[in-house]
Amino acid sequence: MSTPYYIPETNVPLPPKGADVITTACDYCIVACGYKVYRWPVAGHHDGGPKADENAFGVDFPVETLGPWVAPNQHNIVLHEQEPHHVVIIPDKETQHVNTDGDSSLRGGCIAQKCYNPQTPTRDRLKSPMMRIYGILQPVPWDFALDIAAEVANYVRDKHGDNAYGVKTYSYQFIENTYAISKYALRHINTANFTFHDTPSDVSSTPGFRDAGFDNFGPAYEDWMNAETLMICGTDPYETKTILWTQWIMKGIQNGQKCIMMNPRRTAGVAYAEKNGGLWLDIDLGTDLLVVNAIARIIVENGWQDAEWIKNWVNNKWGSSSGFGQGTRNTPWQWRTTWGKFQTKGFDDWKKWLLSQDEFKPENAAKVAGIDIKKIQTAAEWMAKPVKGKRPKTSIMIEKGFYWSNNTGNTQAISALAIAVGAGGRPGQVVGRAGGHQRGGQRGGKYPRNKSPMKVPGRRRRALDTDTWTMSGHTRMAHVIGTTWIQSMCGSQQLAERFEQLTVANPHQIRSYDKQDIIDTLKKRADSGGMVVINQDIYLVDPIGNRYADIIFPAATWGEETFMRANGERRLRVYNKFYDAPGEAKPDWWIIAELAKRMGFDGFDWKNSNDVAEESARFSRGSRKDFNMIKVAAKREGKTLHQKLGEFGTNGIQGPVFMKEDGTLEGTKRLHDTTRKLWEDGPKGGNVYNKKLTHFNSQTGRCNIQKSPWSLFSDYWNWMKPKGNELWCTSGRTNERWQSGFDDRRRPYIVQRWPDNYVEIHPDDAKERGIENGDMLMVYSDRVPSLKETILGIEGSDYSFAGQMKAGNVELTRAAVTGVAMVTRHIKKGIIFMDFLHTSQPANALEGRIVDWISGNYNYKMGVAKVKKIGESPYKKTFRSMSFAPRDII
Amino acid sequence: MSRRDFLLASGATTVTIMVTVNSGGVEAKVPAQLATYPRKKIAKLSQLKQDQPVEFTYPDEGAFAESMLVKLGTEAGGGIGPQKDVVSFNFFCTHQGGDLSGTYKADTKSLGACPLHLSTYDLTRHGILISGQAYQSLPQVLLELEGDDIYAVGVFGLIFGRYDNLQE
Repeated sequence: MSTPYYIPETNVPLPPKGADVITTACDYCIVACGYKVYRWPVAGHHDGGPKADENAFGVDFPVETLGPWVAPNQHNIVLHEQEPHHVVIIPDKETQHVNTDGDSSLRGGCIAQKCYNPQTPTRDRLKSPMMRIYGILQPVPWDFALDIAAEVANYVRDKHGDNAYGVKTYSYQFIENTYAISKYALRHINTANFTFHDTPSDVSSTPGFRDAGFDNFGPAYEDWMNAETLMICGTDPYETKTILWTQWIMKGIQNGQKCIMMNPRRTAGVAYAEKNGGLWLDIDLGTDLLVVNAIARIIVENGWQDAEWIKNWVNNKWGSSSGFGQGTRNTPWQWRTTWGKFQTKGFDDWKKWLLSQDEFKPENAAKVAGIDIKKIQTAAEWMAKPVKGKRPKTSIMIEKGFYWSNNTGNTQAISALAIAVGAGGRPGQVVGRAGGHQRGGQRGGKYPRNKSPMKVPGRRRRALDTDTWTMSGHTRMAHVIGTTWIQSMCGSQQLAERFEQLTVANPHQIRSYDKQDIIDTLKKRADSGGMVVINQDIYLVDPIGNRYADIIFPAATWGEETFMRANGERRLRVYNKFYDAPGEAKPDWWIIAELAKRMGFDGFDWKNSNDVAEESARFSRGSRKDFNMIKVAAKREGKTLHQKLGEFGTNGIQGPVFMKEDGTLEGTKRLHDTTRKLWEDGPKGGNVYNKKLTHFNSQTGRCNIQKSPWSLFSDYWNWMKPKGNELWCTSGRTNERWQSGFDDRRRPYIVQRWPDNYVEIHPDDAKERGIENGDMLMVYSDRVPSLKETILGIEGSDYSFAGQMKAGNVELTRAAVTGVAMVTRHIKKGIIFMDFLHTSQPANALEGRIVDWISGNYNYKMGVAKVKKIGESPYKKTFRSMSFAPRDII
Repeated sequence: MSRRDFLLASGATTVTIMVTVNSGGVEAKVPAQLATYPRKKIAKLSQLKQDQPVEFTYPDEGAFAESMLVKLGTEAGGGIGPQKDVVSFNFFCTHQGGDLSGTYKADTKSLGACPLHLSTYDLTRHGILISGQAYQSLPQVLLELEGDDIYAVGVFGLIFGRYDNLQE
């Protein structure tokens, strides 16, 4: 029996001296390590040699440990200016930031395999626009596809309203693209049916941070290293932002940092932390808020809070109510919240509330969360107890395992804890997200919130829930850009069923070669209550592309166009083009521009990606990525924005960027830096200061400390809790596999490692169910809750989960996903874990399509399922694929 | 004697081909001697104790040649012997070249965690990465059994630091 295997080569061509050296950064995780692409022609066979003067690295082979070794996976052959070229892509050994030591993860490490090379699995890159004619996606010319799309789009908007045209897009795939897409969707089409890849509504992912006044990406990487106590909630950075761990946090731990990991799984980073003086807070799913508040309770009971910091930096009731001339109802957080549930009169009021909640007593919290109460005590001491009169420098990092369930409550609670321990505004004492994708978003328009029908009493109008909207049949044309949509959202199998009904099961299908016939058919589809789908991507995605889309636009990606983007510490870089895009694939900004022009919109006459970047620059002013002054500097020097930023190579420059008096550029190490001295007489020239450079993002510049009642979420949690032989079921990233695996499933080395989705299960739970490593499992549930058509309610409390159940607006659906059993000690008993985005085995199908009723985000990370063995996988008794060894070997 | 000559003399078969080599613009016709992997005796099966690695160097004495052989006690990919449980791997992490010697774990049949960046390898599955950052599986030394003698006869995967396994 043959399972996916990968037998690597035993030699690799070396780049010769004189090879082109092009800088770029990784296309994957938030860290964005700097890379160098070495490129030389295949013709002539002038490969480099092992002597220092024969190769582009200038070193003798064999190289030393940490040296510029080239693994076979780091080599590829691409077309550049239509001619075959070798490329070797390795981490930049000379970079001074981010991936110091020239380190990299295996994701970016093998990024050379991402490049289009038809002799490899990337051969199925989309190379041509396509239309579904007679049920089959067939290549058509750009003009044909664009003309049809534009005419149908304008028709749908005219007849069914702007909100009938939905745009579901990535938020991160380069500034030029996101600017073009949002300019098109928000400024011109002006639809409220707009959202990003990771949420059904265009809302903040961390409402508690926003309400407190914390920017998501304020910290510098060195702050994570320099904290004396670091609490990490909901992620193991080793697994998902590797270099942030190996080059920064790990060095902190080696230097005595106490690292607290709140996570139900003990993967390598957690195990390393535990072994080196840290603490594993192995909580049950959904109980984060209880434990965070229990820690806070111990801190305030002992008087360990940072009183000095609190006195200077926390709003009293006048501060948190203030609207500075706009009245008290104009601060976003008040608009969003239910009066009295979150707002406090200041620290003392918050403390009083905290101490009055029985559920936050450590013994109660420990019981519900299923952890040893001593851990709560230890965490509190490490975070706040003075040692020899000195308070510890504490920082807090959060990511999706933490805030992708009880989105509002958890982020409120952690913000309050951060404030109490004095984190957020000083070197080594920071609070922020670790990040998932890189920061490649630039808004080209304002979201028209007033066009969203989703209004709940006492609160501000909420951004439209595009999943519910589409399920209800209101989306008549969906433009899907660079996202799977269905598998990334909760209730995937239910969404898929609806997509099928609205698209290919609709009577109006294209069965003609005539352009006008096609246009008329698609118009009838929309008029009849169906949906027309445009899918714009680099590969054909199952099912949204290959099964449901009517029109396919092939996109060009990383390496095929020059782009800009920032990483998790706001470090902006140029990602240089170094090879030819496949076929007729075009960058997303171009596709949008062509469509926009045909729809009659002005302002889309860009000639190249730099034009887009330069136009977007002024919209970045005052934001955390403010790169406008780079453009100003470029113009003064007769350069383009891309050229000027490119001078910074892989080091890049951290936003917001300022221009000094001598014309040179200066970056910003961290936001909310209360120790920073800005220019005394204010910003000069084109420079713009945002309050959050040295203060917090609230009306007064001070933090809002908020309550975080368990009761706003406990109804959902209690209903969800495993019953009978159910287990808690969650999902997340796997170190070796990026996102949906769009690249990794075309990378034999990784397919060998993770050929199918897997189910991590504790040995005790496995034994009870007769499950062994390598068995094939069915993970299923009969009670995946899902909001029916639209939100129903009158009073505020109607909108809670309990309220929606009572109103009959929740239906219980079934879902089933298969996976390969991994019986492992590194997961907590009672919990199973799957990779979150295997397109063919979507773990999100098991997660309820119930949004956090305050923020509008899904509770992705908290489902339940039953598990049973249905057979054996081919990996059980063969040796070439997968591994069942635990991930906590340190 | 050069290393290349040593390899050739120690019993490896060779093929001599005339090729044109471009080196610094000077064309020269040089015989290219393609060496193949040596056949090196490294241990006796009967003397192996379970979970006790034996160290040796292969395919030469050059940089990053340090390797290990171990009897796992459980069937493994590429394993020799009656239980198919004797396997052999190179000691250098195929991420950034960290030294894995001394990291063998009997309970998980693994090498690692690498002291540099924590990679771990599954020795029952051809050195596949369990968790970590390596750019490929750990290079597996191919073994043959002749009576009681274990021979190393080749390597699957490029050894760290090298651009060709046989060019040290």
